[in-house]
Amino acid sequence: MSEPKPSTADILAKIRAAKPSVGSDAPAPATETPTAEAAAPKVAPAAKPGSTGDILAAIRAQGAKSGAPAAPATEAPKTTAAPKPAAPKLGSTADILAAIRAAKGGAAAGPASDAPTAKAAPAAKSASVPASSGAKLSVEEMLKAVRGEKSAETTAIVSPTTPVKPALPPIPVKPPSAKDKKAGTDRRSFVAICFTPLFFAFALMAATSLNWLLALARFMFPNVLVEPPTKFKIGPASDYPLGGVSTKWLAARGVWIVHTDQYKGQNLIYALASVCTHLGCTPNWLEGEQKYKCPCHGSGFYINGVNFEGPAPRPLERVGIKLASDGQLEVDKSVKFQEEMGQWADSNSFVDGTLA
Amino acid sequence: MNALSLMTSCLTLGSTDPHPNVTPSVLYGLGWLYLILFAMNSVWTWRSFHRGRHFRLPKFMGGMEMPNAVVWAMYSMALLLVSVTHLTCASVPEALRWFVMPDGAKAAIDFAVADARRYFAVTTFGFIGMLLLRNWLAKPSVGWVLLNLSLLFLCVSLTDWDFRQIVGKPDNVPIVAMLFIVGFFTWLFFYRANENDRRAALGKGPIEAENNEKVLTWPDLVYTEMICMIAVTALLILWGIALQAPLEEPASAVKTPNPSKAPWYFLGLQEMLVYYDPWLAGVVFPSVILGGMMAIPYIDFNKLGNGYYTFNERKFAITTFMFGFLPLWVGMIILGTFLRGPNWNVFGIYEFWDVHKLEALNNVNLSEYFWYGLGQPLPMAPAGSDFWTQAPYILLREFVGFVAIGVYLGVLPMVMAMTVFKKFFLRMGFLRFMVFSNLVLMMAALPLKMVLRWAVNLKYFVAIPEWFFNV
Repeated sequence: MSEPKPSTADILAKIRAAKPSVGSDAPAPATETPTAEAAAPKVAPAAKPGSTGDILAAIRAQGAKSGAPAAPATEAPKTTAAPKPAAPKLGSTADILAAIRAAKGGAAAGPASDAPTAKAAPAAKSASVPASSGAKLSVEEMLKAVRGEKSAETTAIVSPTTPVKPALPPIPVKPPSAKDKKAGTDRRSFVAICFTPLFFAFALMAATSLNWLLALARFMFPNVLVEPPTKFKIGPASDYPLGGVSTKWLAARGVWIVHTDQYKGQNLIYALASVCTHLGCTPNWLEGEQKYKCPCHGSGFYINGVNFEGPAPRPLERVGIKLASDGQLEVDKSVKFQEEMGQWADSNSFVDGTLA
Repeated sequence: MNALSLMTSCLTLGSTDPHPNVTPSVLYGLGWLYLILFAMNSVWTWRSFHRGRHFRLPKFMGGMEMPNAVVWAMYSMALLLVSVTHLTCASVPEALRWFVMPDGAKAAIDFAVADARRYFAVTTFGFIGMLLLRNWLAKPSVGWVLLNLSLLFLCVSLTDWDFRQIVGKPDNVPIVAMLFIVGFFTWLFFYRANENDRRAALGKGPIEAENNEKVLTWPDLVYTEMICMIAVTALLILWGIALQAPLEEPASAVKTPNPSKAPWYFLGLQEMLVYYDPWLAGVVFPSVILGGMMAIPYIDFNKLGNGYYTFNERKFAITTFMFGFLPLWVGMIILGTFLRGPNWNVFGIYEFWDVHKLEALNNVNLSEYFWYGLGQPLPMAPAGSDFWTQAPYILLREFVGFVAIGVYLGVLPMVMAMTVFKKFFLRMGFLRFMVFSNLVLMMAALPLKMVLRWAVNLKYFVAIPEWFFNV
């Protein structure tokens, strides 16, 4: 042994490196069982006496000596048809486990060794796959086996009659995986998939959802808007004397008509939208306090619409206003003028107060 | 006495006051409330008698041993008498003038709460006092006395018309209930935490470790849950029958009720909106609250207090959480529910909701303080300039605010790591500490802004209405 204490992984790596062709070797591991007796002496003095392979070879040898059930032995003639000697293939864990099982008795070896006679290649897989799945259990067995090697009396441990080792159930045959199937006969083509009910159902659902989505998009553009037109006439300018805020159009149209000279000293008539610039509640015009006061968070605005108290960050918005050809004022709610953007200078946002 | 005679007596009194403080029906109802108080205290008297605690009378009264139950019995009898008086003399309000809130007390309480800054000071100092006096407050008899005092306060306050309007509103009934529930669970926490803390001082394990007898999910838990479910359903049905839903007129886009209040559980957020811009108070801070709550298990490095009540082993965590929950969340709900009136002004609990109450709320932005303080006009781009010309002017105008926020969230955590939170920083590591300190600072940002608003009328640290960006 080169390393003082090699781990299981090391041992396995070493074995695999020494026998790289193990994985691809076709013959059934189960067939090794009968030849074990012959192979054992060959392996035992090999280069790595401490390796798992060696230990197991010894187990096999002893298992056979200690009167292992006759079943594997009697079936031996059938399986000796294996093309290669068993010993070189003893590297992989699967092989080791298969070997252990075979040594233990006919319960495990029976079905596996029957198989090769019918179908050589699949049986090899069916034997090796369940074997590798039992790899964790086998460590204990290995240790017991090692102990058994040390003292000849305890070799009975590996015998199938020992109560600590329940007989393993028959190794299930691995179901054929889709991967193994070569392209061809029963692989569904794309077209075939398209006609499966599941696909059909999902396609139907997607189509329905798309229709709903389109309907929703259409809903956003109604044929008829049941709301007052954005342009409306509010009577002559003389209805709005200086220093007053008219709430006449508040309920129906949501605007105050303001006539004031409080904004930069200009005498103007303009329309303020009754939407608080904080969160959109409708403020109240308080005549006594001469301010608009919002009931939601207490924002306050001067008569000219400029914010001065509470959390509102900017003045109320003006909407369009102009003198119509018939001498009336006309408000256009479709346009907005924001003071902080400098839009109150726009001539569409006010009319001259001297008209009143 | 039936409802009809109550009504007639009300009419015959011929009160001209449209907002009468005491009416026969109110007094009659109060009689029942006092009767419930009497029943509660009778049970307590019985409990006290069986516990058999004694106290010694002072020398001048004889100096003899008396059971505590005697005091409770006398108190219960007094309640019974008060109750009987209310039930029998409801039609003669004059006879019951001793059981109404005196005007002086009303004025004093209104003075304490009808101002956001004083209210906030009251709640914050109340919170600190609660933590300091927790060992005393958590005694069962003290808790019982506090419950009695709060109920008596409610009883005598109900004789005020304005108080009845706000507390008796169907909307607000659950909030009154919530106050008592929050009080009870806070008391319960301290009661159990103190018990465990005392045990820990004696070197014993928490009581939960001793009484950890397992119970079965079925039937123990499932039965309990089912009984709770039935009880709550019954309560809701009774409530739905007894108190009509406070429906109002159809909503209108151009008419906002005054005051306009959020659902009660959001009133803390609505209060926050008074101080911060909608995108912060309505979006960022709620998200930070939720995210921060989720982050607590990853921030917390204190392994103690796991699975049992304790205060001393988790002082910082519990104090921080309770400050966020009691004064900042529940306190703001109380402020929003009971104290905010028309135009979102603050009103006392005994104060008439006058739509024309004037409160000076002129606010000034930080940038205005800075530039006007320097005696300069605000930097402003030439009229009609495009975005790229405007942007540098705007940023220059608001740079003080940006610096302030940068210092607050960027530099302050490092200062904290070097000073007060040094131990935290060493235990947490850089990233965790930055998350932790930023969460703490964001929580502190609300009271900070509130105090700045009240103290110097500060509106926004950064005010860029052009870009809808205000902090």
